[in-house]
Amino acid sequence: MKKYKKILGIALVAFIMVAAYVWFFVYNKPHRNIEKAKADYELSAEVAYHTFHSGDPVQAKEYLGKVIQLTGQASHIESGDSLMVLVFVFEEGMFGDEGIRCSFLPKYNQQLASLDLSKEIMVKGYCAGYNETDVIMEQCSLARPQ
Amino acid sequence: MKKVIIIALGLGLALNLSAQRFLTKTGHIYFSSDAPLEKIEAHNRQVNAALDSRTGDFIFKVLMKSFAFEKALMQEHFNENYVESDLYPNAIFVGKIPNLDDVDFEKAGTYQVTVMGDMNLHGKSQKIEEDGVLVVSKDGIQATSTFNLEIADYDISIPGAVAGKIADEIQIHVDVNLKALNK
Repeated sequence: MKKYKKILGIALVAFIMVAAYVWFFVYNKPHRNIEKAKADYELSAEVAYHTFHSGDPVQAKEYLGKVIQLTGQASHIESGDSLMVLVFVFEEGMFGDEGIRCSFLPKYNQQLASLDLSKEIMVKGYCAGYNETDVIMEQCSLARPQ
Repeated sequence: MKKVIIIALGLGLALNLSAQRFLTKTGHIYFSSDAPLEKIEAHNRQVNAALDSRTGDFIFKVLMKSFAFEKALMQEHFNENYVESDLYPNAIFVGKIPNLDDVDFEKAGTYQVTVMGDMNLHGKSQKIEEDGVLVVSKDGIQATSTFNLEIADYDISIPGAVAGKIADEIQIHVDVNLKALNK
């Protein structure tokens, strides 16, 4: 009887440990930290845009959902309610300017406000894809201080 | 001098409101699923939307991978298993405001509108007709709407194991601030 109790106790502890693991590391696993992640691809903003806009669709698919580091000269910054978007413009279309739109992590708002747009910028973020007008980057950070 | 400023401001306002095309690339759309076992919400703040005030044409482009969820696992399942965002990266709505005569784009105010058109999501196209509100002001047009979509209409199947966590009907909330395109 004592032996059965011991086995039951071990099984219960094992079950709790597995359940806790699933709860914390599977069901509630944290989002990937894009700011700290190593970039999967490093390229110029212009090359990235043209790959999506008129380039190689196979290569464009490679960038989808990946961490990309872009270098180039940005055109302007748009400020929304809580969102700051750095824009690299390469074309003019029906939806106005077209290019790469990088929405930044809120902690960069102050740095963005004092950014010198005449200088080259290096941005790292999650490539969400191409919406037929712009390449969209999310959770962006400045990869190199100006 | 004061008169000149008032006339200039008035002229600027008239020019702004008589613009034909209004658009945004930072529109906000979020959806919520209220199932018995779980409440899920995901936000997309880089939505493209354009409205032609002369024809009533209204278009939305929504990149699926831009939806941010509270839980990473849900975001993964949403992209990989449900909307298959690698295969169908965008949801697109192309429609019209049929009761355009009820809206005076040159006069600030709140206008109730109907929007009807084709919603293309997960490779499936469905005709939809929903109510919305346009708030016309000197800054542009704020368009809001809340409506439901049946996920089965778009061939999105939910496995039995998580059926209690995802509602059959998803509530969509649209909030876009459209600015005049003066180009």
